[in-house]
Amino acid sequence: VFVLVLVGVTSVAMYLVGVKAWGWRDGELRAAVRRTLVCLGMTLVFFLANLALGVLVVLVGRWILAGFVSLYPASDVTLVVLSWLQAMTFQSWREFARRRVEPGG
Amino acid sequence: MGRGDRLLQAVGALGLAAFLLVAFTPMPNVLARWDGEAPEPTPADAIVVLAASVSVDGALSDDSLRRAVHGILLYRQGLAPLLVFSGTVLDDLASEAAIRAEMAHRLGIPAAALLTESTARTTREEALRMAELLQPRGVHRILLVTDRYHMRRSRGLFERAGFRVHPAPVDNLSHAQAPEQRLRLMRHLAQEALARAYYGAAGYL
Repeated sequence: VFVLVLVGVTSVAMYLVGVKAWGWRDGELRAAVRRTLVCLGMTLVFFLANLALGVLVVLVGRWILAGFVSLYPASDVTLVVLSWLQAMTFQSWREFARRRVEPGG
Repeated sequence: MGRGDRLLQAVGALGLAAFLLVAFTPMPNVLARWDGEAPEPTPADAIVVLAASVSVDGALSDDSLRRAVHGILLYRQGLAPLLVFSGTVLDDLASEAAIRAEMAHRLGIPAAALLTESTARTTREEALRMAELLQPRGVHRILLVTDRYHMRRSRGLFERAGFRVHPAPVDNLSHAQAPEQRLRLMRHLAQEALARAYYGAAGYL
């Protein structure tokens, strides 16, 4: 709960600074939350794809080498961070591409 | 917002909900208690301590050390005349099993009561190698030491290899309260669930 309180306090502080000092609008916050969920969804998709590929490579490796190849490296925690980087990059690219093709974008 | 965005948004919302549930509620603890095997500290022919991992410089991991100490304490309680350590060789160093046996010996366990097995690299191989090592010595009833989340699969494999198994689980995570520990516990539970599915599909269990 402690970390949730920390995150809550800094979020409220940023909200107040954004609205009072920089003129951000409430409606834009809702759009930002939706965009964050899209990025999170894409992170999960990349993570599951990376994980599935890792498991497949290990299983094929076991079959070809007829020996032991550990499955544990395929689920290394860094995979989450790297999947998030992939998601942020490709989602940004996707949005740039959409703005280019959409009228008025 | 297109259909793809809405789908990704739903996946993201589900992921966020799952993260909050795992990190900030006792859900993983409940799952761990439901999934784990209760300890059966009864007299046996041997105490078998399964491998965890060892670093390249020969330092035992926390899991490895915890399992080894649990095995030593069970031996100290007089529950079995033999203490058997499993754990493979890394590079040209001594095996994890040998490092643990050496530690047990330094802590007062007689050399004659110690055995090691250092060729198995998976839980299934551990069960098969232990059967080859122990059953000719008349060892059939064992106290099996491994982490709680790893016990169900291990027990099934050792029973299939011909042992009568009494679980002696090491439990350091099922009471986890910090969010990071709960995430780690959930990761172990998910890995074990996948491993059990794989072992089941491969016909090992």
